[in-house]
Amino acid sequence: MLRKKLFRIGLSCAVATGMLLGLMTVTHAAERVVNLAGWGAKSGVLRSFGVNSEAVYHAAIKEVNDAGGIKMGDGTMAKIELTYYDSACNAEQGIAVARKVASTTQALVGFGPTCSGVAAASFGIFQKKVDDASDSGLQFPILTDTAVRNGLAKISQWTFRNTPNEPDMYDKLFAWVRKNNPDLKTMFGGTETDQGHSKGTYAKVIGPAAKKHGFTWATGEIPAMTGQIAKGWKELLDSSSNWLMNDTNFSVQARKFKKSKADILIVSSHPFTTCGMLKELARQRVKPKVLIGLTSSSSAETMKGCAKQAEGMIIPTSFAPITPQAKKVAELAEQFGGAADLHSAAAWENIFIVKRVIEETGIIGKPGTLQSDRRKMRDGLEALENTVGLMGNIKRVQDEGEALKPYVFVQAKLGNWEVVYDPR
Amino acid sequence: MDYYFGLSQTIGIHTLLGLSAYILMLTGQLSLAQVGFFAIGAYTSGILTTMFGYHIMPALLIGSLVAGFFAFLIGFPALRVKGLMLVVATIAFSQFVSLFFFNLDWRKTVNGVEVGPDSTQGFREIRYYAANGWDSGEVALFVWVIVVLVMAALWWLDRSRAGAVLRAVGEDELAAQSVGLNLTAVKVIAMTAGGVIAGLGGSLYAHSTTYVDHLTFSILLATFAIAYPILGGLSGVFGTLVAVIFIQGILVEGLRFLGDWRNLLFGLLIVLVMNLKPEGIIDARVAQLLKRTFLGGGKGGKHA
Amino acid sequence: MEDFLFELYDLIQSAADGVLFGSTYALIGIGFTLIFGAMEKLNMSYAASSFAGAYTGLAVLSYFDAPFLVVLLSAVLSAGVVSYVVYLTCFRFIPVHNHLASLMASVGMLFFIDEVIIHATNASPLAFPALFDEVMIEIGPFGLRGDLIFIFAISMLSTVALLLLLFRTRLGFATRAVSQQGVAAQLCGIDIHRTNGITFIIAGMLGGVGGAMIGASVGMLSPLLTIPVTVKGLIVTVIGGLGNIPGAIVAGFLVGASENLFLFLRGVNERDMYVMLLLFVFLVFRPHGIFSRRSERD
Repeated sequence: MLRKKLFRIGLSCAVATGMLLGLMTVTHAAERVVNLAGWGAKSGVLRSFGVNSEAVYHAAIKEVNDAGGIKMGDGTMAKIELTYYDSACNAEQGIAVARKVASTTQALVGFGPTCSGVAAASFGIFQKKVDDASDSGLQFPILTDTAVRNGLAKISQWTFRNTPNEPDMYDKLFAWVRKNNPDLKTMFGGTETDQGHSKGTYAKVIGPAAKKHGFTWATGEIPAMTGQIAKGWKELLDSSSNWLMNDTNFSVQARKFKKSKADILIVSSHPFTTCGMLKELARQRVKPKVLIGLTSSSSAETMKGCAKQAEGMIIPTSFAPITPQAKKVAELAEQFGGAADLHSAAAWENIFIVKRVIEETGIIGKPGTLQSDRRKMRDGLEALENTVGLMGNIKRVQDEGEALKPYVFVQAKLGNWEVVYDPR
Repeated sequence: MDYYFGLSQTIGIHTLLGLSAYILMLTGQLSLAQVGFFAIGAYTSGILTTMFGYHIMPALLIGSLVAGFFAFLIGFPALRVKGLMLVVATIAFSQFVSLFFFNLDWRKTVNGVEVGPDSTQGFREIRYYAANGWDSGEVALFVWVIVVLVMAALWWLDRSRAGAVLRAVGEDELAAQSVGLNLTAVKVIAMTAGGVIAGLGGSLYAHSTTYVDHLTFSILLATFAIAYPILGGLSGVFGTLVAVIFIQGILVEGLRFLGDWRNLLFGLLIVLVMNLKPEGIIDARVAQLLKRTFLGGGKGGKHA
Repeated sequence: MEDFLFELYDLIQSAADGVLFGSTYALIGIGFTLIFGAMEKLNMSYAASSFAGAYTGLAVLSYFDAPFLVVLLSAVLSAGVVSYVVYLTCFRFIPVHNHLASLMASVGMLFFIDEVIIHATNASPLAFPALFDEVMIEIGPFGLRGDLIFIFAISMLSTVALLLLLFRTRLGFATRAVSQQGVAAQLCGIDIHRTNGITFIIAGMLGGVGGAMIGASVGMLSPLLTIPVTVKGLIVTVIGGLGNIPGAIVAGFLVGASENLFLFLRGVNERDMYVMLLLFVFLVFRPHGIFSRRSERD
């Protein structure tokens, strides 16, 4: 009798355990995951960019997942899983990662890269025009957060960017400077000529924008400069006093800046040489009435390197912790081991852009639908007219795959970047 | 598969870069100039296919010949410097080439798109392969046919008198001279051959990555060029190939699962390999072992 | 006429700035030349270990808020330690005759040290303290940077200390003996490994001064500096003559001054091309260095 009872109890336990295990497996199977991939510089001199972007991606993903995840095309909720790779600011690695992600993973979209050179190389291996059967390029959508050099997204119809639009920002900046300083006349400046972003923006964007708003070159009029974007860029560079991105000695350049006696000085470079130049200018007691910098230097790095000497520098930026959302992202980024700045803030926006596209285009997110899902993602990204940004509405430039992000002007004050003008 | 085809392209191209330094090392010249010839080949062939619509084959040929020409020119002054001084002089040459391309600005509008080297903005849209429907597998095959041909040529060279001549000069110049070898001719020919191979590699590089700029051809890449033959061993061409697979295949791509640790291990593993196998991964002993295993009982050890 | 005078002043000022700056290049050049002189091998990680020392000094500053001289001292000591580690990993156990393997191993250490720095600092440029930062000594129309003069002084003192060590102490005697004729030195009872190890430590410490001084002169440290300083150091070593310390000093000033002069005359895009041409000129006309000795070395 007892044995039979025991047997029955044992059998029920076994069945119950089996059912429980089965239920757990079923529940686990029902926990859907949507794969995304990102890559950036995690090694080499640009490591901070990769670290910051990755931190912000993980912060945004946690926010989405905690709220339930993304609603897929078949009605189920899926959590986001992101793998972040190191492209080391190296074209071959960037291409390898893009191919790895596209051909060996289920990722629906790729975020990145950090370096414009890597972007230029990777975008080149993508299919140029969709539905061009003769083009053997990669068919995988990319949404860039950091690489900001002009004109990259239009290399392929699969590549999109959520990066600031410098021509617009500097145009409005000089309009504002002109309005507030009607008596200022002359300008002078320099850039790191072997850094594509710094040089390109200086010569084709900043210089022309200043010229457009009535400022003249301190050492003599440059006839080729008409105020239009990119006009007279070679002549401008020739008349400027420049340096290279790992230079350490700026005495010659600073002396030329001083001799120019210009009202406005432009230092278009990244934090390392910006600080080097500013320190030398301080040493030679050069005090311009207005000091303008490059977008990429409106970060904590500049403050860490030369807060005192940067005092008063004005830079347009597409991120400052002045809206509640922006403040939250800045805090969360720190919690995840990075920092939010105009480059990494795009990471937050990207996650929500992708979430929206998935939900609006009904992407299924199953292995069998991978290629059609990626196509839907691409089409969805292209169709976007506006996206939500941390600083306000972002307009998309649809035929180029670029973004027009809202911006503010910040000025270095006592070791912080304070907003001095908010045109939003 | 795309990923693996892409990786094999990288390995093939870097093998060519390594072999261009290898042939010079045989004659005792440690040259960091190969990346300069690599760059010349890259820009020349890129300009030809992108701006002038050349087919890839003549572009590769011209790219490597132009690189070889400059190598020939460099060969003569390089004779006057030895050892460390040659290292520094070749570093300076590579910097020179890099600076030249830094200043090169030559644009043309083709099919409505502006292409060509744009100094610091770089030379983008070298899209010959994709625009002509070559998929990554076909490109990989193309690259490897070329690599195999070059390796075969060098392997055959090693078996011939020319190889012995090269190694003799590398081993002991005085002795080589006393048996009547013309040092100038040997060294300049080696430099030229190295230049042609590097130019070929550079041309393939430009088309595989679709983008080059002056920063691509850095001292770092020059160091990789000599790293491959040193790590691989100078006893034969396979050493260089093994070293490229080790560095690009294992250290760079294979160790990705280690995340952040990958980059820290990179340098350490190189140090480890050099301490464990100072003559290279495929040193004379391993080469003999492989020879016996695959070719069965050789007549004697490999020379050098 | 006035314009011409201004240009002349500028020219002299540029040269003077360059010479002061060049004292830091001289230190790095001396380090390369010391090790090359001792072992006939090239230590590619020298600049990296020097900067590792400078970064350690910076770490000491941020954790203990130490004064400048303590920072300098910690930079010097830690650079010496790192240099010794490089000796152990790249030169101690690799066969003496094998130059390539040591070279490659030191390249591996260069990569490793650089990445450690990058991981520890996230590659951000960090402010480096400088003494006499705001001081400008005016001599007529010329101004000499106070901190550069201080750096120049420290570099010269270190060089003098090194020369005293090499020529007035037993250790220095042993080092010179080993570098001249290793086998004979061993026969005289000099321990090669110990001597070479100490050479590395001393060279490393000198490099620590160099790295800290470069940081002080720029006002910042960044991993961007490692490779360019390595290249400049090598150029200085070659122009000065391999194994020749006074040569390295003069070459350092020469490279520093000409760099600035070329910058002033031809702009930054062509500056480095001219420095390379200067190197080529020296290689062609004075292949054994500024102060060529009769004993020829590779």
